[in-house]
Amino acid sequence: MTEIKKLISLVGRNTKCYFKDKLTFFMSLITPLILLILFVTFLRNVYLDVFKSALPEGFTVNGRILEGIAGAWLMSSILSVSSVTVAFCSNVIMVEDKINKTITDFQVSPVKSTTVSISYFLSNFFVTFLVMMCVMVIGHIYLAAVGWYINVGDVFMIIIDCICGILFGTLLAGIVESFVSTQGALSAVATLVSSMYGFICGAYMPISSFGKGLQNILGLLPGTYGVGILRNHYMNGYLDALTKAGLPDDSISVIRKSFDADLTVFGSRIPLGAMYGILLGACVVLLACYIAIVLIKNKKSK
Amino acid sequence: MIIEIENLVKSFKEVKAVNDISFSVREGELFAFLGVNGAGKSTTINIISGTLKRDSGRVAVCGYDLDTNAEKIKNKLGIVFQNSVLDKKLTVYENLKYRANLYGIFGKDFKNNLEEMTELLDLKEILKRPLNKLSGGQKRRIDIARALLHKPKLLILDEPTTGLDPKTRITVWEIIEKLRKESGLTVFLTTHYMEEAADSDYVVIIDAGKIAAEGTPHILKNTYASDFIKFYNRREEAEKYFGKLGYKFKTERDYTEVELKSTSEASVFFKEKPELFDDFEILKGNMDNVFLKVTGKDLKGV
Repeated sequence: MTEIKKLISLVGRNTKCYFKDKLTFFMSLITPLILLILFVTFLRNVYLDVFKSALPEGFTVNGRILEGIAGAWLMSSILSVSSVTVAFCSNVIMVEDKINKTITDFQVSPVKSTTVSISYFLSNFFVTFLVMMCVMVIGHIYLAAVGWYINVGDVFMIIIDCICGILFGTLLAGIVESFVSTQGALSAVATLVSSMYGFICGAYMPISSFGKGLQNILGLLPGTYGVGILRNHYMNGYLDALTKAGLPDDSISVIRKSFDADLTVFGSRIPLGAMYGILLGACVVLLACYIAIVLIKNKKSK
Repeated sequence: MIIEIENLVKSFKEVKAVNDISFSVREGELFAFLGVNGAGKSTTINIISGTLKRDSGRVAVCGYDLDTNAEKIKNKLGIVFQNSVLDKKLTVYENLKYRANLYGIFGKDFKNNLEEMTELLDLKEILKRPLNKLSGGQKRRIDIARALLHKPKLLILDEPTTGLDPKTRITVWEIIEKLRKESGLTVFLTTHYMEEAADSDYVVIIDAGKIAAEGTPHILKNTYASDFIKFYNRREEAEKYFGKLGYKFKTERDYTEVELKSTSEASVFFKEKPELFDDFEILKGNMDNVFLKVTGKDLKGV
């Protein structure tokens, strides 16, 4: 019981340390917001044209649905990328504790090293969740302005999807950054992940636009399914609206495939439930790796 | 005995950082552990505090064996590190609260302990201030408060006054003395300042991982340090006289310093050549001399 109280206290300490540095929080928040602004400014028209071209010739539809579905697709990209990139940026306290030797202070105290490691994971999860929710609210305000067709159930599922993505991101960050012990290395890792992750999980470009081989390779990466689940829940309401507007099922199916709501890997369509299964399965594997690394590192440090 | 160390050995690859050392520390004493950088002081402290595994040997603290009761030992130990390892962005209160929590001290118990520390170390004015806004001396007081919050039996001070101005050094020592008098706390000190070691109850000098000398400052000075007579007047006659007798002497700007073999020699010379002693000073050998003689290394500037 006392160890749980110690864990709660450490999570509080890590979170407080994080938020005391306003710049760190601002930087974590600003990255996804910049992505949102860049998407809206530069890519909105491109995606609008792509959605328009997916409609049958002569089919007219309310402009708010098209504006909204393009924005929703962008939001799914931003949130799926941010769940990993923000987790990498927000894990700064774990690395700072190594740099400042605060970790030694914990080692001489009667608290289990696993408790300290879990506290970093939990506080990073909490901080990343807060940042993501801020981004989501801002994004939804934008969607409400251009065209809101997302139902309450899907909003709830979007939050669940974010939680799954954050779980994946914080575990991945915890593993990678457990090997980082300098500020420079932390910045390098965060930069590398920020620039690469969006492409390798198919967030910046629809996977369907890649060649079959690359599609299959990306299908092996669990992050791809973090994007897939968000695509589904962000686009569902808009696709329903398009169906109601008279768009044939074939065209809906084309849009779902073209924009990664339906993922096909090695010739098989991956159902939504399987996407969750793969993502959460990956989280279980990552959690096992994280625990193993913590235990091995603790043994080695002694 | 509050610390018992027998045949302690620790190597880092080919380097034997600690090479078969044995010593013990009595309850309530001020124990000084001296050595140049790399002598093995920090390695020994890290082993005692349980953050470093030893290769062989036995370590017991407060009657508990380190192998079987490491957690109990941690509850009995308070450590002041050379550099502060507390959270610079958090306030003094937050720092002390989160660190006390690691010892299972929560709520009312923490408040009671904090009140005692506030009174003892005069913290009232700075409790709400962030650590990075405090002076070096104030930070040192907080480090000591953090080490004492859980009421340890043994306080380890790892070069606690290095980098502090002379006034703050005096303040830190006044606090330590007060603690020893009021609570009978055992203090294990490593320091570069020989005048601090001179006030201790027992001294162990470690050199290249081995114990080079040990004893009370008085015994060490009598065994290893020479006494000196400083002649401020009639210097030429003194140099001639002692030179003929084969004594070493040093000519400085204001005085000639003659190295004696023992304190009792001074009274012999005083009786034999009273005319030389019209302006003079007899100095006991100090811990600097002891250290230099034992290790062949000068601690100044280390």
